[in-house]
Amino acid sequence: MKRVLIADDSISVARQLERIVNSTGEFTTIGHAKNGAEAIRLNQSENPDIIMLDMNMPVMDGLTALRNLAVLDPQVKVVMVTSLGGVGDKYAEAIRLGARNVISKPFEAENVLKVLRSL
Amino acid sequence: MAVKFFGQFLVESGIVSQENLLKAIDLQETSNLKFGEIAALLGMLSEADVDRIHTIQRTEDLRFGDIALKLGLLNQDQMQEILTRQKNGHLYIGEALVKVGALSQDELKDHLEAFQADQAAYATGHIAIPGDVGHPKLWEMAADLTCKLLGRVCDINVHSSSAVVCERIEPTDTIAAMAFAGSVNGRYLLAVSDTLRDRIARAILGEKDVSAEPLEVLDDTAMEFVNIVCGNIAAKAAQLGKTMEIFPPAVFHPGPRGIDVPSGQVGLRFPFVEATGEAVSLYFFLPA
Repeated sequence: MKRVLIADDSISVARQLERIVNSTGEFTTIGHAKNGAEAIRLNQSENPDIIMLDMNMPVMDGLTALRNLAVLDPQVKVVMVTSLGGVGDKYAEAIRLGARNVISKPFEAENVLKVLRSL
Repeated sequence: MAVKFFGQFLVESGIVSQENLLKAIDLQETSNLKFGEIAALLGMLSEADVDRIHTIQRTEDLRFGDIALKLGLLNQDQMQEILTRQKNGHLYIGEALVKVGALSQDELKDHLEAFQADQAAYATGHIAIPGDVGHPKLWEMAADLTCKLLGRVCDINVHSSSAVVCERIEPTDTIAAMAFAGSVNGRYLLAVSDTLRDRIARAILGEKDVSAEPLEVLDDTAMEFVNIVCGNIAAKAAQLGKTMEIFPPAVFHPGPRGIDVPSGQVGLRFPFVEATGEAVSLYFFLPA
C-alpha cells in the first residue's frame, strides 16, 4: 500500500483528500502538514511514497517546499493539488521543479485517484 | 471542473506529454518579447529608460506603456506600433506545440475546439462595472466566475447584473477574504450569511450535515472556497495577460458593525441575488 502525506493549510481540504486517498485500499494517508516547512519535516520522519502538496500556504509555500524536496529527497513523488493549476507559469514551474503532476481545485475524486495510480 | 489553460487541457487529455508542453512553453518564453524589449529593439527607449520604468512599476499600478507615455518617453503612435508588433508576433501555446512537433495544424484546430467546449462553462457573462473603476474586464470576469463556482461547487445559484462603488461592507455573518498582487493589487472579500456558509461547508467537506462541526472547520471551508475561486480567477486573469499572485486566505465575523473600506482604497460591491433570498455579496478593495 502506498503511503501518502497531505500538505495543505486547509483542514477541510485535508479531510476531503484523506477520505478520497483512503477510499480504495490502494493508498493510506500517513499525516497532514499545514505548510511547506512541515511537509519537509514530515517527509524526513515518515518517509512517504507520495506527497500531495498545495501551492498557496503560509510559512513556506508549495513551490518553495518542492524546490527543497527536489534536493533533500529526489525519490519522493510529489503531486501539486492547487487552485492555481490553470495558471500556465505556475503549472510549468511545478513540472520543471519535479512535480509528477498538477491537480487543479476544485478536484474530483476519480481524477485524484487516477493521478495517484499513475505514479 | 476548473479553469485550465490550453496546454494543461492537452496534457490531462493525454494528447501531448509534459515534456513537449515544457518545450513549447520554453519556446514561447524566448519568442514572445515584452513591451519594453520591443521598444528597446526599435530604438524607442534606452536600457536606462526601461530600468527606470520597471522601478516605477514596483510602486505604481500602471502598465509599462502608460508609464512611458506619462514620462514623455513615448508618444501615442509609438505605443500603438509596439502594441501592434507585440500582438502580431505573439506565439500562442498551440502554435508553439506545432513548432516543437507535438501537434499538427489539423490536430491543433480540432483540440482547440474541444478545449473551448470544455471551458465554455467558464465563459464570462456581462456585468456592468462603474465607469471610473480601472481594469473593469477583470472585475467583471472575477464576479462572473464567483457566481459560476458558487453554482458548480456549492449548488448555490446566484447572479449579478451590475456593481456599485461602496464605502463599507454591510453587516454580515462571515467574510472570507484573500489578498492578491501583481498586475493588479487588492483584496477579494466574499460576504455570506451563516446559512450559506454552512452550504459551502457541506459542499467542501462532502458531508450532508455540518451542524456538529466546530466554527474553525466551517470558517476553513469558506476560506477554501475563496482560495478555489481566487486561484481560478488568477488562471483567467493570465489568459487576459494579467498576473495575479494570491496569498493565504483569512476569515472575519464583522456582525452588525460591517467593515469600512480602508482609507486610500475604493470598495466595489457586487450585490448577488440568491435563489432563496439569502444574503451574499462580493466585494473588492482596490487602490484608489
